[in-house]
Amino acid sequence: MAFQPSKSKKNLRQESGALNMNSMMDMMTIILLFLLKSYSTEGALVTPSEQLRLPQSIQGEKPKKELSVSVASELILVNNVVVATVDDIEEDILMIEPLRRKLAEYAQQEIELQNTVGKEFTHVVNIQGDEKIPFEVLFKVMFTCSKSDFYKMRLLTIKTGA
Amino acid sequence: MAYKPSLRRKSEELDMELDIRPVMNLMVVLIPLLIASAEWVRLGSIEINVPPSQTGVGDNGDEADNDQVEKEKKLGLSIAITDLGITIASPGAVLGSSENEEGPTVPILADGKQDYETLTAKLIEIKKAITGKGFKDENRAVITAAGDIEYQVIVKVMDNLQTYENDSNEILPLFPEVNFSKII
Repeated sequence: MAFQPSKSKKNLRQESGALNMNSMMDMMTIILLFLLKSYSTEGALVTPSEQLRLPQSIQGEKPKKELSVSVASELILVNNVVVATVDDIEEDILMIEPLRRKLAEYAQQEIELQNTVGKEFTHVVNIQGDEKIPFEVLFKVMFTCSKSDFYKMRLLTIKTGA
Repeated sequence: MAYKPSLRRKSEELDMELDIRPVMNLMVVLIPLLIASAEWVRLGSIEINVPPSQTGVGDNGDEADNDQVEKEKKLGLSIAITDLGITIASPGAVLGSSENEEGPTVPILADGKQDYETLTAKLIEIKKAITGKGFKDENRAVITAAGDIEYQVIVKVMDNLQTYENDSNEILPLFPEVNFSKII
C-alpha cells in the first residue's frame, strides 16, 4: 500500500511570510517628491496667514511662479522680504519709493540673467493683496509696478464658484 | 589555538529587519494630505495689462482728449465705486439710477454690501445697447474707487464686470479689458 499523506499532520506546518515593503517605500517616496516639486513650481504653496488673506474670485487662470509683491494689512513685501510698511506711504504722491527701488534691483538682476543665460524677462509680477486693503494702497502699488520694468501685473485670488 | 566546537566563541548574528512602519506612517499621512490640499485651495490669477506707453494705470483724462481730437467713437465706460454705491458713467453722460436720478447708479443694499446683481443687470443692458455700434473700446471699462474701498469689493466688481453668467450657466465675457484710475 502506498503511503498516505498523514491527515493529522496536515495543518501542523504554518507558513510565515513577511510582506516585503521595499517597493512600496520606493513608490511612496517618488510620489511624495513629485508632488512637492510640482506644487512648489506651480506657486500653489502660498502660506496663508492672518494678515494676508487673498480675495475670492470666480475667474482667473492658473498662476505661474513670478516675482511676487505682497501687500499685507501692515506691510509691503517683495518676494517675502519686507520693503515698506503701509504707514510709510506718503499721502500725496502715487509712487512708493522703497518699492520702486526694490523692483529696479530685481529688474536689473533679470536683465543680467537675460544677457548671460538667456532667460527671458517676462516683466510679470504677481500681486498678492489681503482682501481688506484699501483701494488707495492697491492703486499706489499698481502704479509703482507699472512705472517699473514689471508692468504686467497679475492679481492672485482664490478661485471659487462653479 | 583551536578550541573544541563547544568552547568556540560564538558570535551572535543579529538578524534584525529594518522597521519601516513609522516611515510608512509618514508617507501614508503626507501624500493624501498634499493631494487633498491641492483640491481645496485653487489659486487664480487675474491679468491686468498696462501698455508701457501709457502714463498711468488707466488715464481717464487722456482718453477724453484723444476722443475730441481723433473723432473716434469711444465709449469710455467708467465704473466708480464709493461707500454709497456704484456709479456707471461715460464722458457723455452719467447713468442715473432708476429711482433717484442723483444718487449712484447702483446704490448699496440695506446691509451695507454692494448690489452686484443690479450691477450685472445694468452692465448687460449697456453691453447689448452698444454692441455693433462701432465703439472702439466697447470691451474696456475703467474702474475707479474711493480710497477706502476694500480690495475684495473691487475684485468682486471686476468679476461682475469682466464676465457674466448666462441662462445656461456659461461664463461669457462682458467687458474683459479693465483699467484702473484714481479720483484725484
